[in-house]
Amino acid sequence: MKTRPRFGLYALVILSVVISFLPIIWLILTSLKTTEGIYAWPPQYLPQPFTLKNYINIFTNSPELLLYVVNSFIVALGCTVLALSFGGMAGYALSRLGMRRAGVLMVLILAVSMFPPVSLLPSLFQNFLSLGLLNTYAGLIIAHTGLFLPFTVWMLASYFATLPAEIEEAARMDGMGVFRIFWSIVIPLSWPGFVATGLIVFIFSWNEFPLALVLMTQNAMRTAPVGISLYPGEYAFPWETISTATVLAIVPILVITAIFQKQIVGGLTAGAGK
Amino acid sequence: MKFTIPALATAVALTAMPAFSAELVLSIGSRGYGPAVDRNLARYEDMNPDVSIEWNKVSDVPGETRKLYVTSLTAKSPTPDIFAVDVIWAGEFAQRGWLEPLNGLLDEETIDAFNPSLLAASTVDDKVHALPLYADGIHFFYRSDLLEKYDLDVPKTWQDVVAASNTITEGEANPQFYGFVSMWAKIEGLFMNWLAFANGNGGGFYDADGAVAVNSQANIEATQFMVDLLHEERLAPDSILNARPDDARTLFQQGRAAFLMVQDFVHAPLSAENSPVAGKFDFTRVPYFEGHEDANSTTMGGWFLGINPNSENKQAAADFLADFTAKEQQLQAAVEDNRAPTIPSVYEDEAMSGNETLAKFGKNYDFGVVRPSAGSGSKYPRVSEIMQLEITNALHQQKTVEEALNDAQSQLETLLAD
Amino acid sequence: MTSITSPLDRRRHLTGIAFITPTMLVIIAILVYPILQSIMLSFGQSSIDGSEPYQFVGLKHYAALAQSERFWNSLWVTLLFTGLSIPLELAMGIGLAVLMNEHFKFKGIARLAVLFPWALPTALNTLMWRWMYNTDYGLFNAAALQSGLVDRPINWLGDETLAMGSMVVVAVWKTSSFMALIILAGLQSIPRDLYEAGRMDGMTRWQEFRVITLPLLKGPILVALIVRSMDALRTFELPFNLTDGGPVTATESLSLYAYKVIFDFIEFNYGAAIVVVQFLVIFAMSLLYILTLRNKD
Repeated sequence: MKTRPRFGLYALVILSVVISFLPIIWLILTSLKTTEGIYAWPPQYLPQPFTLKNYINIFTNSPELLLYVVNSFIVALGCTVLALSFGGMAGYALSRLGMRRAGVLMVLILAVSMFPPVSLLPSLFQNFLSLGLLNTYAGLIIAHTGLFLPFTVWMLASYFATLPAEIEEAARMDGMGVFRIFWSIVIPLSWPGFVATGLIVFIFSWNEFPLALVLMTQNAMRTAPVGISLYPGEYAFPWETISTATVLAIVPILVITAIFQKQIVGGLTAGAGK
Repeated sequence: MKFTIPALATAVALTAMPAFSAELVLSIGSRGYGPAVDRNLARYEDMNPDVSIEWNKVSDVPGETRKLYVTSLTAKSPTPDIFAVDVIWAGEFAQRGWLEPLNGLLDEETIDAFNPSLLAASTVDDKVHALPLYADGIHFFYRSDLLEKYDLDVPKTWQDVVAASNTITEGEANPQFYGFVSMWAKIEGLFMNWLAFANGNGGGFYDADGAVAVNSQANIEATQFMVDLLHEERLAPDSILNARPDDARTLFQQGRAAFLMVQDFVHAPLSAENSPVAGKFDFTRVPYFEGHEDANSTTMGGWFLGINPNSENKQAAADFLADFTAKEQQLQAAVEDNRAPTIPSVYEDEAMSGNETLAKFGKNYDFGVVRPSAGSGSKYPRVSEIMQLEITNALHQQKTVEEALNDAQSQLETLLAD
Repeated sequence: MTSITSPLDRRRHLTGIAFITPTMLVIIAILVYPILQSIMLSFGQSSIDGSEPYQFVGLKHYAALAQSERFWNSLWVTLLFTGLSIPLELAMGIGLAVLMNEHFKFKGIARLAVLFPWALPTALNTLMWRWMYNTDYGLFNAAALQSGLVDRPINWLGDETLAMGSMVVVAVWKTSSFMALIILAGLQSIPRDLYEAGRMDGMTRWQEFRVITLPLLKGPILVALIVRSMDALRTFELPFNLTDGGPVTATESLSLYAYKVIFDFIEFNYGAAIVVVQFLVIFAMSLLYILTLRNKD
């Protein structure tokens, strides 16, 4: 029951939206400009003339972009599913089952994720080469899962920790097994945590570059960010093509974000307060 | 009946044979030499039906692709069989055993056809490790319409450039118009620019005896000129110290610069229909300093093709390599894609007579200078880094020119001691 | 702590282990093994063409690091960058999350917009900012010049002080939304009746925030802080694409330096030492966080 004017709130919201959106709007506008428009001086703010030529060119000259987007989708989806499953179970076990040395294991898991991925490149490549995992979906999915599991475990553990213990206690008293408790009680209650974490991991995997570059070298298996990195020439950087390709490559992410926004908005609010 | 069984066996054997005797993987970018790759792959596969070649497109940006090669060559991956290397990597990779020596796989005649100074870049221990595919270099582009407007000749010396630039900028009286733009960010291109200035003054990386002498008097003067160009004459925008080649090209294309010093890739976008400076520019050799008319001031670059020592199809790869870099292919790439050939006799072919731009580039390459990559082998990356860092220090006026070059010299001496 | 003597407890324990196993296997294969290889490398020396076997050289590379001015510079740059961006990101992230938690029209779009920056691939994102920051033809200077705010173009990426600031702006822009997302999910879990009780006690909005919201947000905040700090301390794509580590080496982070050593100079051993040191710095900082925030209980 707020009697305070909502003006300040709306102003802040609009400001945040504009600032967040600004570079993306600039990217989209760029993709709709002609080459002269992009490099014009003084700079053209709005496309004049407005053109869809860049998009048409991408579809006719580089139809493989669609393939790259599909690959990215497969890898990101696989990674998210694996990370949430494995990470969810591990996070639950380490935070709620009162296991000995759970804390040590948590710290260890966090510690190994602190190494910069770039330094892992040579040895990961070598190992994957000998295991025959190069240029396979399974290979890159597992690699990404490994990269993002520590984050997933910690995130989900922190959400689990906010759940009141009484519900699980009650279920235990009723004789429910650990897995059933996890599956039918914990997961639904911490759903926003799963959605948020899953979304983040999906985006991490989608945008990941160094591992995708070296582990998927065949043209047909490339992911979107690597594919886009093929557009620049040795010296030239064609913004026409690159801005268009980027917009196309992030459309799936936007779609997924839009879908899951509703979830986070609070379709199922967590918290025992309900 | 007597023949049936052997006949059957032969038939079975024939159908069980693999479709290709060699499956090759070629790693090269599509922006640099793409059309030529398309043409030649199809043609070669037609002529050699037992060979299949997969074109593994990699980035043309050297830094990106290097990451890939370092990783896969360290792990001794058998693919790619043939791959493209930047000229400055050839000696380094050869020394690391990452490029198969070609003298055993190709005949001498094939190898001798190439430009000897380019070939030297990939020769280690008297063995050639990669063949040059195409070359590029740094040229000096100018606004011909502005030179005409102010009644100026095409500058030949750097003093000419300063004078012309001052006349033009004063005349144009536009604060957003600059006399001179180039790519002087802390990148490889900066080292290339420096070499052009240094050689233009009779200096260079090595002295006359072949010893490293970056702090020679000639070099100090040349470097001081670069610093003065920025801070005294103020011919260039502040952003030059941040500029990559395409940034400089953009400024020139917007009509905001009189002189541009970059590689030849800019010719195409600048002369495109939608370019504001189309038809208003031309290019010449990079200027030299007074008294050094025959200085080699065109710093060269280029791409080579080599064979992976872990490849399982070395001879097949070599055969393809010889065909791909042969005179006919280079001629076609020159005429159709404007790629500078690396076999000198290509320039003499009559098909080249129509291509004025390429001929002009070629004339500048007669004054070419290469970076010291062959001499420093696997240490070249550190050499380049030392030079880039100290030159940048001088340009940012963090050190005096003498300090910077002396520091560079002592670091280089320590590095190259063994 | 329950003891694990009863069969029920033992079953719980075993289930727990089963729950953890898949994660541990993947982590060991993808992370632990290469890390151990890196550590081994940092204590050894391999020959240039790989022909000679590994030679143990002890702390030689670490000693060289300690004397390398460039290393200390990159460490300083990394710490400075982290110290500047994390507090800003956290503040903005919390602010954004609280804002987005309110009820207002177009809430969906607003939340989407706020998430956007972070969904773009870093490299592309950074290159776009680089273009906008360009001194001569970038959007920012064009707008600033046209509106008369300045009369000379600002050298956003070329001036030593401004370059770091420009980099921090990009980082904060990108990751505030990440922080906001994590914290928002945490906000959603706070039961409404706590706020109602607070309001009945006559608490102001600020008091509500301080007394109810913040303490319950500690878990997600801690995770967000640790993850973001780890990322900031490992920042690579941002300086690589925005400034090439320039001007000179003013924005050359530890990761950028390690990358140069490993992929440009191809000195795996020395590079491994840099990476190990980087890891120790990150580890120390995380410990600091955990201990500090734990004690606030």
